[in-house]
Amino acid sequence: MSQTQTFYDMIRRQGVTRRSFAKFCGLTAASLGLAPAYAQQISHALETRPRTPVVWMHGLECTCCTESFIRSAHPLVKDVVLSMLSLDYDDTIMAAAGHQAEEILQETLENHHGEYILAVEGNPPLNEDGMYCIDGGRPFVEKLQEMAEGAKAIIAWGSCASWGCVQAAKPNPTNATPIDRVIRGKPIIKVPGCPPIPEVMTAVVTYILTFDRLPELDRQGRPKMFYSQRIHDKCYRRPHFDAGQFVEQWDDENARKGYCLYKMGCRGPTTYNACSTIRWNEGVSFPIQSGHNCIGCSEDNFWDAGPFYERLQNINAFGVEANADKIGAATAGIVGGSIALHAALSAVKRARKSPAEDTKQKETENA
Amino acid sequence: MSRLVVGPFNRVEGDLEVRLTFDGYTVSEAHVVSPMFRGFETILLDRAPEDALAIAPRICGICSVSQSVAAATALAKMAHVIPPMNGQFSTQLTLACENLSDHLTHFYLFFMPDFTNAVYENKPWHEELHKRFRIPDGTSRLKAMEARAKFLHVTGIIAGKWPHTLAIQPGGTTLELDQGARIRLMRAIEGYRNFLERDCLGLPLEAFSEINSIDALRDELNTKAPSSDLALLLKVFDDLDLWSAGPGADQFISFGAYPINGEKTLRQGVWDAGEIKPVDTGAIIEDISHAKYPSMPTSPAESHSDADPEKADAYSWCKAPRYKGRTAEVGAYARQLIDGAPLIKELHSRTGSSVAGRILARWVETARIVPLMEIWAHSLQRNENYLSEYAPIEQGEGIGLVEAARGALGHWMRVENGLISNYQIIAPTTWNFSPRDANGVAGPLETALVGAKKLEGEKSPVSVQHIVRSFDPCMVCTAH
Ligand code: SF4
Ligand code: SF4
Repeated sequence: MSQTQTFYDMIRRQGVTRRSFAKFCGLTAASLGLAPAYAQQISHALETRPRTPVVWMHGLECTCCTESFIRSAHPLVKDVVLSMLSLDYDDTIMAAAGHQAEEILQETLENHHGEYILAVEGNPPLNEDGMYCIDGGRPFVEKLQEMAEGAKAIIAWGSCASWGCVQAAKPNPTNATPIDRVIRGKPIIKVPGCPPIPEVMTAVVTYILTFDRLPELDRQGRPKMFYSQRIHDKCYRRPHFDAGQFVEQWDDENARKGYCLYKMGCRGPTTYNACSTIRWNEGVSFPIQSGHNCIGCSEDNFWDAGPFYERLQNINAFGVEANADKIGAATAGIVGGSIALHAALSAVKRARKSPAEDTKQKETENA
Repeated sequence: MSRLVVGPFNRVEGDLEVRLTFDGYTVSEAHVVSPMFRGFETILLDRAPEDALAIAPRICGICSVSQSVAAATALAKMAHVIPPMNGQFSTQLTLACENLSDHLTHFYLFFMPDFTNAVYENKPWHEELHKRFRIPDGTSRLKAMEARAKFLHVTGIIAGKWPHTLAIQPGGTTLELDQGARIRLMRAIEGYRNFLERDCLGLPLEAFSEINSIDALRDELNTKAPSSDLALLLKVFDDLDLWSAGPGADQFISFGAYPINGEKTLRQGVWDAGEIKPVDTGAIIEDISHAKYPSMPTSPAESHSDADPEKADAYSWCKAPRYKGRTAEVGAYARQLIDGAPLIKELHSRTGSSVAGRILARWVETARIVPLMEIWAHSLQRNENYLSEYAPIEQGEGIGLVEAARGALGHWMRVENGLISNYQIIAPTTWNFSPRDANGVAGPLETALVGAKKLEGEKSPVSVQHIVRSFDPCMVCTAH
């Protein structure tokens, strides 16, 4: 590992041509929503700045983030980003095994103290002194804190590292804990989603490595450029929502027509993510496009926000095409804020349910 | 006598540690440790039955469709619903796509890079393998990653997103594919066929599936595709004699794969020393003598997953599944052997399961399944349903048996009063990487490692790595 290498050196050494490199800079500027002129800046930074090592660690997880990442859309972007990372330490895809891997980790910690980026997939379980996730003979939480201490900044990949995700679902048997609760005093960027969208992952990494700083974050620590809009805001089924045209059953005529999935339990109106704009599998589709409602997998606590398939049998004001005007007006007010929407929803639910069911519903809401 | 701990083990899904005892340079005893536990089976309790479709797949980011299909199958049994033909085809297409891309990932990203290791520097094949398979930019590796991304469009088109697809339901799949989607689907499968026939195998899939002996395969490759990745691989297998490395159990299980209209495309069965018998789910138990759980019923329909991290004599979070009291190997090799693929049958009669056999079986399987995917995609009917509705599940018991890329996967589920009251999962690697049982009998990998040799000064013996990776372990599934 040479220390004076630039990213450009690395990229070129791995067979990427000058022309492809220029194209990559352009694509990156575009994916970050920057003006074309920024391509120059990106290219300059990559050519002159010494490369930043990236250490990628895994805690309690399902490796879906890595799976997502290595499949990033544009082949060129993926190649370049992978070569930039060089994955100084990643136990899923790296070449070294066992002791060798541990040595690389120690070497990075010592030789690049304060310089490297720590990317964390998964989270540490805290019950039983961390015994539920043992990595290299000791609790993952220890190793995580040790590596975090020498890091310049930390990326929390996915809903696991960011929020806890399914292993933190009730009753959270191992006390799986998001990383920002065990790491203090370091900038942490959260890139939630289960998994996050590959293009979002590559863009975030590229941004940090290129500009040597974190992109602008929202109050919850997420990059604004990808998490400032709800799925609902850019959903292609939105016109049907506004027109009060809803799927009522998976196999009904409305499903075939591609109507809105709100009544099937869609969490799109309260979920901040880029699925409806960037989409999945190289822009092919996303869950709502596959006819399934959004379950809000990038939101904190989505795992306990079930049942996911509870249907809103009837929404009083909605559902009748003839009333489209009225509904349009009603929804315009509602989607303005997720809290208002929730209120409207539970009011509707309450109206439809017997008092006994209502109590049950409230219990689950409060639990 | 000396000891060695290999771990954290890289290039496997999730965390793995292998503890080895050596007699001189030869492994005399192995203990396989699964060091991670999350408690999914406990988390699933008291939830609405269908929520299993959102929670259970998240056990694993690489075989999440298999987990979806297993959960959906268990639910469908309880709901007495049968998906319409379109729903069946699209479910099997999604599952096959995941399984085959896993085979590809395993080969190019996990298994082959070991041969670029410096210990092989003096081998005549090293330079070429290094060029093709080195991390991160081996030429074959890059081609394979691209082929994989394109092939995964199949799951994208049908199921919206991968991993952690939601579209697979007990009654079928949620999207009705229009003409354009069907065409794109066929194109994605065809693209994958092209990659396989051109770069990877170098032979037409149908011709490769029909080859019935290793000698015939060598001849075919020598004459028709001497520079395919597969041809190169055979040279390495011969040179290092991986045909006899990592011998497996004498019992193999396949739950049978890709059912269409109630009939499994790949046969279900138990291979018991040469004889194929039907699977009796009642004969499956999980032994926990050396797993970190308190004592509990051994039947997966009754057991649970409370943890006991301090348990004496326990060294793994993996339970030890046994069939009729014996260990069993699962995976593509088991599937192809039980289904009677000619090449694997011939190989088995000569060497039994081995590192080389396990790897080859994945390609035999790929060559046999891609043409079926083409047929399934062509069979999708316009204007017909993909999904059947069913009445809410109030109670019942259901078992969902599927074949994931890595082998037999089962979900045992019970619902009472409209909520999940028990859930147990036995994953493929749980079988293969099981710890010892009450009789002290070691699991399949623990047995396969005995006899492996280390070279002077090796801390992570490469021979051990070949054997471990030949099973394509998925540790995140193993203990969940
Ligand atoms: S409710 Fe869901 S399906 Fe309907 S418009 Fe909003 S995000 Fe799209
Ligand atoms: S649409 Fe919703 S559930 Fe689906 S991936 Fe995006 S955020 Fe997750």
